[in-house]
Amino acid sequence: MKTINKIILGIGLIGITYSCTDLEEELLGDLTSDFSLEGISTGGSGGGGDALTGVFNAVRNAGTANHGGYFSVQSVSSDEMAITQKGGDWYDGGIWLEMHRHTFTPANGPVTGTWSQQYGSIAEVNNAISNAGLDANQMAQAKVVRAYLHWRLMDLYGNIVIADGSGSSNQSSRSAVFNWVEGELLSALGMGSSFDLSGLSNSSLGTNDVKYRINQYSALGILAKLYLNAGVYTGTERYSDAAAAAGHIIDNGPYSLSDSGISVPNLGKRPAVSSDPDNLVGYAAIFAPNNENNPEIIWSVEYDEATAGGMNFHHMTLHYASQYTWNFEAQPWNGYVALEEFVNSYEAGDDRRKANFIAGPQLDYGGNALVDLASDSPTPEIVYSIGINELEPNGARTGGYRLGKFAFKQFARPNLDNDYPIVRLGDVHLMHAEATARAAGNWALALPEVNAIRARANVSALSSLTAEQFLAERGREMFQEASRRTDLIRFGKWNDSWWEKTNSDAYRTVFPIPSEQLTANSSLSQNTGY
Amino acid sequence: MKLNLLKLSLAFTIAFSGMLSAQQVSGNVSDETGPLPGATVVVQGTTTGVVADFDGNYSISASAGDVLVFSYVGYTAQEITVGNQNTIDIVLQSSNELEEVLVTGYGSQQQKEITSAVTSISAEEFNQGAINDASQLLQGKVAGLQIYNRGGDPNAGTVIRLRGLSSLGANISPLVVIDGVVGASLNNVDPSDIESYTVLKDASAAAIYGSRGSSGVIIVTTKSGGVGAAQLTYSGQLSSSSILNQIDTMSPQEFIASGGRDLSSQTDWLDEVTRDAFTQIHNVSATGGNGKTNYRVSANLREAEGILLNSGFDQFNTRLNFSTTALDDRLKIDFNTSFTQRDQKNGFKESMRYATLYNPTAPVYAVDAPYAFNGAQFGGYYETLGLFDSYNPVSIIKQNLNNGERRELNYGINLTYDVSDNITAYFRSARQSSDYANRVYFRTTSLWNSSNDYGGADSPVRKGAAEFYENNSEFQLNELYGSWKKSTDDMNLVVTAGYSYQKENYNEAFFALGDFPGDEIDYIDAIEYSQDLLNAGNVIANSGRNPDTEIDAFFARVNLTWNNNFFLNASIRREGSTRLGADNRYGTFPAISMGADLAPILGLSGVQQLKPRISYGVTGNLPGQVGLSQEIRGWSWGGGGSAGGSTNLLRAANPDLKWEEKTELNFGIDLTMDRLSATLDIYEQTSKDFIINRVVDAAVYGFDRRFENAGQLSSNGFELSVNYDVTDNYNTGIVLSSNKVVLDEYVQDSDKFGNLGAPGQNSTWVTRVKVGEQVGQIWGPVWDGSVTNGSQNFKDVNGDGELVVGQNNALDDNVDFDVLGSGIPDLEIGWSNQITIGDYTINAFFRGAFGHSLVNTFRAFYEPRVGSQKSYNYVNTELANPEIKNANFSSLYVEEADFFKLDNLTISRQVNDNMNLSLNVQNAFVITDYTGSDPEPALFDLLDGNPLAPGIDRRNSYYSARSFTLGINYKF
Repeated sequence: MKTINKIILGIGLIGITYSCTDLEEELLGDLTSDFSLEGISTGGSGGGGDALTGVFNAVRNAGTANHGGYFSVQSVSSDEMAITQKGGDWYDGGIWLEMHRHTFTPANGPVTGTWSQQYGSIAEVNNAISNAGLDANQMAQAKVVRAYLHWRLMDLYGNIVIADGSGSSNQSSRSAVFNWVEGELLSALGMGSSFDLSGLSNSSLGTNDVKYRINQYSALGILAKLYLNAGVYTGTERYSDAAAAAGHIIDNGPYSLSDSGISVPNLGKRPAVSSDPDNLVGYAAIFAPNNENNPEIIWSVEYDEATAGGMNFHHMTLHYASQYTWNFEAQPWNGYVALEEFVNSYEAGDDRRKANFIAGPQLDYGGNALVDLASDSPTPEIVYSIGINELEPNGARTGGYRLGKFAFKQFARPNLDNDYPIVRLGDVHLMHAEATARAAGNWALALPEVNAIRARANVSALSSLTAEQFLAERGREMFQEASRRTDLIRFGKWNDSWWEKTNSDAYRTVFPIPSEQLTANSSLSQNTGY
Repeated sequence: MKLNLLKLSLAFTIAFSGMLSAQQVSGNVSDETGPLPGATVVVQGTTTGVVADFDGNYSISASAGDVLVFSYVGYTAQEITVGNQNTIDIVLQSSNELEEVLVTGYGSQQQKEITSAVTSISAEEFNQGAINDASQLLQGKVAGLQIYNRGGDPNAGTVIRLRGLSSLGANISPLVVIDGVVGASLNNVDPSDIESYTVLKDASAAAIYGSRGSSGVIIVTTKSGGVGAAQLTYSGQLSSSSILNQIDTMSPQEFIASGGRDLSSQTDWLDEVTRDAFTQIHNVSATGGNGKTNYRVSANLREAEGILLNSGFDQFNTRLNFSTTALDDRLKIDFNTSFTQRDQKNGFKESMRYATLYNPTAPVYAVDAPYAFNGAQFGGYYETLGLFDSYNPVSIIKQNLNNGERRELNYGINLTYDVSDNITAYFRSARQSSDYANRVYFRTTSLWNSSNDYGGADSPVRKGAAEFYENNSEFQLNELYGSWKKSTDDMNLVVTAGYSYQKENYNEAFFALGDFPGDEIDYIDAIEYSQDLLNAGNVIANSGRNPDTEIDAFFARVNLTWNNNFFLNASIRREGSTRLGADNRYGTFPAISMGADLAPILGLSGVQQLKPRISYGVTGNLPGQVGLSQEIRGWSWGGGGSAGGSTNLLRAANPDLKWEEKTELNFGIDLTMDRLSATLDIYEQTSKDFIINRVVDAAVYGFDRRFENAGQLSSNGFELSVNYDVTDNYNTGIVLSSNKVVLDEYVQDSDKFGNLGAPGQNSTWVTRVKVGEQVGQIWGPVWDGSVTNGSQNFKDVNGDGELVVGQNNALDDNVDFDVLGSGIPDLEIGWSNQITIGDYTINAFFRGAFGHSLVNTFRAFYEPRVGSQKSYNYVNTELANPEIKNANFSSLYVEEADFFKLDNLTISRQVNDNMNLSLNVQNAFVITDYTGSDPEPALFDLLDGNPLAPGIDRRNSYYSARSFTLGINYKF
């Protein structure tokens, strides 16, 4: 038995030798929670590179200007645009048809993804709030961004979870979320518990023009939007407050409308095509690839082809062959199209019509006609037609004008360079005009600002104004800026029928809570009707 | 290289051959039925040995007092001491298969002592022909072991699964143990070097391997040194393959008649991108030894072509197994090493897919274009520009390259020390390293490339792309264990206990860049010319490294035999792994099994064995990746010109993450009668706490996914294998298996998987799982046979008068979807037949699977006569309905894929003592109604590996092949 003891001893010894390992797993190829947030969120110049980098990246990453998220659900569900089913392409389980026709279900992928995307971004903001060592100004900015993302969720889904970093998963009513968002914004603006512009002197937010960061004016712009829609959210209208918030921006902010004096080189110009303008002027300049210094922009999300990807409008909307017009690196997807009725609401000479849509026969870089060999028409030349034969199943491959507001540059990469405005002066004017008119019950009060906006677009002034006309004007101005759904709801038009959409039920003004999240969080209850 | 190795083996031969000479002894070796050609006769303790000739005759020089050892595979060896006689005739007794020794976990046991579900397959039973993948030797041979290699890609991995699905995570393939090395790679074993396989099927047999045993264990034993003078053997095979089944598409005439755009040519695209492929295989091995020191060395050369142009591989493998003894034969030292170098041309499977779909009237070359076309830009090939997802297949496969290089090296040593008569100590140390490098180059004139991140030939400024990928994995194993034996008249006891430590690490790197100046050279070899280097963000680079994954285990086992007919085995393993959450690192895996041979107890005549047995065990399953319990963050740059950036959450942490655990109860019975042997196993297994990436509350976790132990699967099934000697010259064997997997618990009541994809069928999920139901359901609307305005009409399945067929309603209670089939077969059959006629042996192996269906995605996408697709070819099978003009997934595209095939037919002739010739056909014929290219089951989603989405025949499949092989085996 002595030998056995020796063997056991030997096994034990070897066991001990190797058992020194504590089986701790230290990941070497991934960023984990061990990784200091402060240490990496610094450095650089040009707008990024401070402790708030993560906060503003979070807005960019929240589906702001790419396919399938916030932009898509806000826009495809409206009368601005649709994604037609083009034969074998873009059926995709009917998710975009039901988005457009308001028959979306709690399992709809974009409805689900948009929810998760906003909360993911809110979590990054919370992370910065707790861990990034923010100073008072930065803290105020972070809280405004967090409130803005909650506003998106509340506007889309109604009753949501307030993710204030406490870890609570309780659902709050839409009014409670409204109150919380309002409170956060007021607090950042130094106002205490109620809206009072005199409180701004206490605000930690600055007043300088910082496009990629939050100042008092961008926070007020978000607040104005919240108040303008307060009736929808809570049943209590706040038009005077909306007008006051917007008015303060107009009166005090260092911003001006991008008019004919504002011009940037047209980076999409084809030398061989003389009809391509050399410069983008006025309205078009606000959305150009080189729009970073436009005087109208109050707060924009920075996009960059190399370091800040996430804007893909060229791929989302253009026909495959349009690659050869702009010399894109990659082939577009032929998806989003503008609706005929919407396009027709523009007068022929409206600068915005030219800026917002890509229309008619398409030429390549050298000026030769583009062709589509799979086209249904006998001639394969590509002509974007204003009319669209049908939403599904065989929407023409070249049917519908395309989304051109965020102009494409030559040789664009899969990600675009244009910055995406969240708050801009033109929108602020329209909010101010509408709130003022609604507060007084007199749409004529909106005429001066509406006409200023129209003048900038080279269309004649209106002499009188109805709610319907105002909505149409706002639509023309704000196309492709993810505003239309909210506007239609506020004007009571969202449930109406248009083109291939029939009347939808009133409960469709909020999206369903995603079924995945209902499963994951049993304290959530589904919105009425779903 | 091959020649050098031959020289090396010759050197070995000389080194180990002593020339002793005394007297000449000759005679004949036979069994009851006749001579045994190839039987070996060796002078014990020397390297002197001969092989009996075709008539069983031998002649050897030996001195009086020498012991001659007569042996033959499958027979009990006999020893005869040489006196002064000159002639020794010997009749060998066929060894009792019950005494056959099976290699099991940490030891070996006689077949009769096994009380769990264990199957052993030796080289004679292997599949024949040009087999390049070690696991293919076993296909269809072991009941319950599913081995599928869909299609004919010589570089594709084989799917191996034992007893169905036991996990939803990774590691759903059995653990491989090669010559005792746990977790070794089958890539480094040439099929011709394998002596036998043992498959541990139930949890009680596998529990000794603890946390990695849940999907079963395949133990590989390689051929080892023989006894006697060096025996040099050559075997060679020459094989020709051609495409087996195609998917029916429209001819140019049909295409034009159906409204397709006529581009004035007639091209058979599939014919353009495929070929008759040739494969040659050469194996040389030398074995020898003197009983104390034995060796086997082999070299294997394979040159395989795939039926797709520019696909195939060249592989060189060599292996040395060497053993010797020391310390008065008490210490046995085994050393083995193997090395594989494989250069593979992966080709581009996409070429086959586009060949199926490309306009049949389009020309291959630009010069034949029906209109002015700038061919120079596309390398002289024609392209239909401006279409989505349409590329000239010939251009894809001929212009671009996709080459891989794999190197694998193993080496290890085993020490076995007999401490005393009944105590043995074992020490094993093994290392394995694998390197894989892949280079892909898309020429600047190729319109197609694999990623939207690169420019194609039509990109004005950014043409061409180069991709580099490499990974390296290292692995080490150290084990020390001992066994103690105690025998009395009525009892035999073996106790084994030990410690095992294993460490792995893995790292990989990828980068890609493009924008090359022209096509003067293949810029893959000169990437400094890439203009992407001048543009921020255009170079794609990625690298990763896993931390050292460690496994730490203690194990013990008891084998008890009572009265030579009652058997008890029990084991336990306690094991920890770095891959688990901080709070749950260690687990314990017990097993017990027992059986009794009733034949002697009941005194049954003509029955050699009747052994009922029962076993129970617990095994685990490690997460397939590192870090699943930890939070992972991604990175976003801050924006233009900024060097700053920020992290963002990609996965929420879960420190409680633990093993998946499987328990299994197995009943079995082994029956051996004179001509008949049969084994039946019935089992029930439950896998709980399986790890899935679960949707969590996004508002709380900041991300909507993390890994959790959330769910339970249970399965049951049976396996039957029967072997019968019909006559002395005809043996037949059949294996049958069936398995049902049910989802017991899951994070939600039901879920859908298997997205069909672009174009137009994203968010179209074709499989479903539902709690309480079988896994593998194909789920969708049911076509009622009629068509309105080009669209299929669907059945109101639940008869509530309301038709709900939206994909987003797929999981709703009122949806009119139905189970359209099962992705997993109900029954799988392998039927072997061996007929001997004179010098000829015929092996015919039939294989079938029944009850499974496949979603024919080629049809689902391309059979509807979608108008706006008129420059793509239409799939046009016998099931096509030309009325349907709108692509919408339904029962129409789900086909039963039952098949029965003559998988492997070999006719071989023993020409003389030294030479065997064979002719083999693989995939001789297939009986099936399936209209796709290959009816073999797809056990998981071939796109993303999801085991809950089986049954989808994806469009990127490699067409399967039929091959004819001529083989020769020659002993020098």
